[in-house]
Amino acid sequence: MRARRVRGVVVGAVAVLVSVVVFLVPFAFILVTAAKTAEEASLLSFSLPSEWALWDNLVAVLTTRDGVVVRAFVNSTILTVASVALMVVVAAMVGYVLQRRSSRWNPVVNFFVLAGLIVPPAVVPTIWVLQTIGLFKTIPGMVLINATFGLSFCVLLFRAFVSTVPRELDEAAIIDGAGPMRLFFTVVLPLLKPVVITVVVVQAVAVFNDFTGPLYFLPGDENATVQLTLYNFQSQVLSQWNLLFMDILLITLPPLVMYIFFNRQIVAGMTSGAVKG
Amino acid sequence: MNARNRRAAIAVGATVLATSLAACGGGGGAADGGTVEIEFLTQDGGTSVPLAEAMIEAFQTANPDVVVKLQTQPGGTEGDNLTKTKLSTQEMSDVFTYNSGSLLQALNPDQTLVPLSDQPWVGDLSEDFAQVVSTPNGLYGAPVGTSRVGAVMYNRALYEELGLEVPTSWSEFMANNETIAAEAPDVAPIIQTYGDTWTSQLFVLGDFANVQSADPQWAAEYTAGNRSYAEEPGLAGFRHQQEAFEADLFNEDFPSATFENGLRMLAEGEGAHYPMLTDSISTIQQNNPDAVDDIGVFALPADDAANTAITVWQPNAIYIPSTTEDEKLEAAKRFVTFFNSPEGCAVQSEVLVPGGPFVTSACPAPEDAPPIIADIQEYFDSGATTPALEFLSPIKGPNLENITVAVGSGITSAADGAAQYDEDVRKQAQQLGLEGW
Repeated sequence: MRARRVRGVVVGAVAVLVSVVVFLVPFAFILVTAAKTAEEASLLSFSLPSEWALWDNLVAVLTTRDGVVVRAFVNSTILTVASVALMVVVAAMVGYVLQRRSSRWNPVVNFFVLAGLIVPPAVVPTIWVLQTIGLFKTIPGMVLINATFGLSFCVLLFRAFVSTVPRELDEAAIIDGAGPMRLFFTVVLPLLKPVVITVVVVQAVAVFNDFTGPLYFLPGDENATVQLTLYNFQSQVLSQWNLLFMDILLITLPPLVMYIFFNRQIVAGMTSGAVKG
Repeated sequence: MNARNRRAAIAVGATVLATSLAACGGGGGAADGGTVEIEFLTQDGGTSVPLAEAMIEAFQTANPDVVVKLQTQPGGTEGDNLTKTKLSTQEMSDVFTYNSGSLLQALNPDQTLVPLSDQPWVGDLSEDFAQVVSTPNGLYGAPVGTSRVGAVMYNRALYEELGLEVPTSWSEFMANNETIAAEAPDVAPIIQTYGDTWTSQLFVLGDFANVQSADPQWAAEYTAGNRSYAEEPGLAGFRHQQEAFEADLFNEDFPSATFENGLRMLAEGEGAHYPMLTDSISTIQQNNPDAVDDIGVFALPADDAANTAITVWQPNAIYIPSTTEDEKLEAAKRFVTFFNSPEGCAVQSEVLVPGGPFVTSACPAPEDAPPIIADIQEYFDSGATTPALEFLSPIKGPNLENITVAVGSGITSAADGAAQYDEDVRKQAQQLGLEGW
């Protein structure tokens, strides 16, 4: 008994230590580098800055190129929220119908869902499609692309999860006179909350961190997203490491804050999806 | 970079090839109220954005009827893919910055760009530069910024202290290194920084001018498959790198030091020589501004002093895509011309830390340039310059930096390294479909 408790403490301590090394040390490095002057930051050493320039660097980053970073944050926020909302609603609907109503269309739909996971996105033809419908270089166009790329994965998650929701609930709602829309939005969707949170977290991080998508499909400085702004501070021979790390710090903050606030739901969502999925 | 990104990049590469032939026409612009709006695309980072901003401001003051909007995109591999994507989907900005030389040729300039051979500034260009922005059908680009050289950057203060002379042959250079090792034991005679692998190539790439002076037909014969690095004079670069390693001349942390460490060591006198591209002087300007006047440069010495020449990298250039038409095309041409007008030159010398002389006679050398520029100018004045191999031949093996790291670390001998590189190059030449391979 006693030996087991000691072992538990040791394992726990090792786990804490490992997470500190893996997560906090890089973060601390970002923080101290973001507070250094350009000259000191170029050493890329893990030390406290001899001269704190946190505020100067923050101002420098935010005012670079007439505030491209601020604009990028607005764009990235709109993109992430809109894409994830679209994915959740559409994927939940598809997953629900696929699981509940079997028809001869199911194999066809399943095939396309799988194809969505497998087929690589081809850049130039996608741009042609967007140009034809007039959505190239626009935020709505990019939202549609993000939603398309993420949809298959979300549909799979929802379909698996819907099977754990008892069919009797649907039937009770129908007997009580709920139409299809009401049935889905007021009865089924709330029950899918754990998997909705999983999808929101996974896809929000994916969309927020996407680099190549906005690079190819959303060119133009007025459309910049946060990941693209990193290149403002880096090139082959001249890198402003202090500003680069300040930008990284700014970009890391929103997911971090989100995690701190939604910590419990995120963990609950992850595990419920994992066990029942 | 996750799997999807990589797939996307591959997909771009494939589709670009398939579609670049089909790309023509389209686009067009509208002028309202007598002003024309054009877009200027430049690469993120470094000095290119401040230069573009200053240039646009000066241009708009002189040309109130044109509004120039600045756009940026990343450089490097992503930038290459993006540039090709934009050209083949007819979304390219009206004027854009891109590399000269073999990367330009990969854009298929005859189909995608507007020829500028009839422009007034063409006559001022140096012959070497005109060559790297041209195809047999025309000239497509105007230079941005200065040329730079790949040579040995050295600490002048240290040279004065030890009473050393600039070496002109490899044996003199090695003798200098021995003196430094003997008299200043804290100083690394040669700085190498394999933490950034690309920096390891300078011994070979910077030696190319010497190869070409020993054998003036080398580049042409090399493209034709009749010369190789396994034989002299090509081997010399690899051999010198091996000799320098064997003489134990490198800084202690050479396997992991980075490019910026190297420049700092040079600036602070912890190292004496650093074979490097001279535009890195802008990094010294940022990180060790007081040391800029202490830095000089000399060509990587050849075995025979008579062959020692300096290898020159040509500057990037600005181009106009063929999708720019009508009044936008006219405004774009005016903007390109402005870059190398007296006002444009003034902006360039004010914003840029020059890494070498300008390649057009329209721009005089700035008066307050760091001493390194005077060093380079001497080579230009005496005619001892040669463009780097990548401007004279389309072949450059992708693995050179890995091979030179191995040679410089004593893992591979010079002869083996050169042979490996020849093999690497052969594959690339075959992919390009060149004759004789």
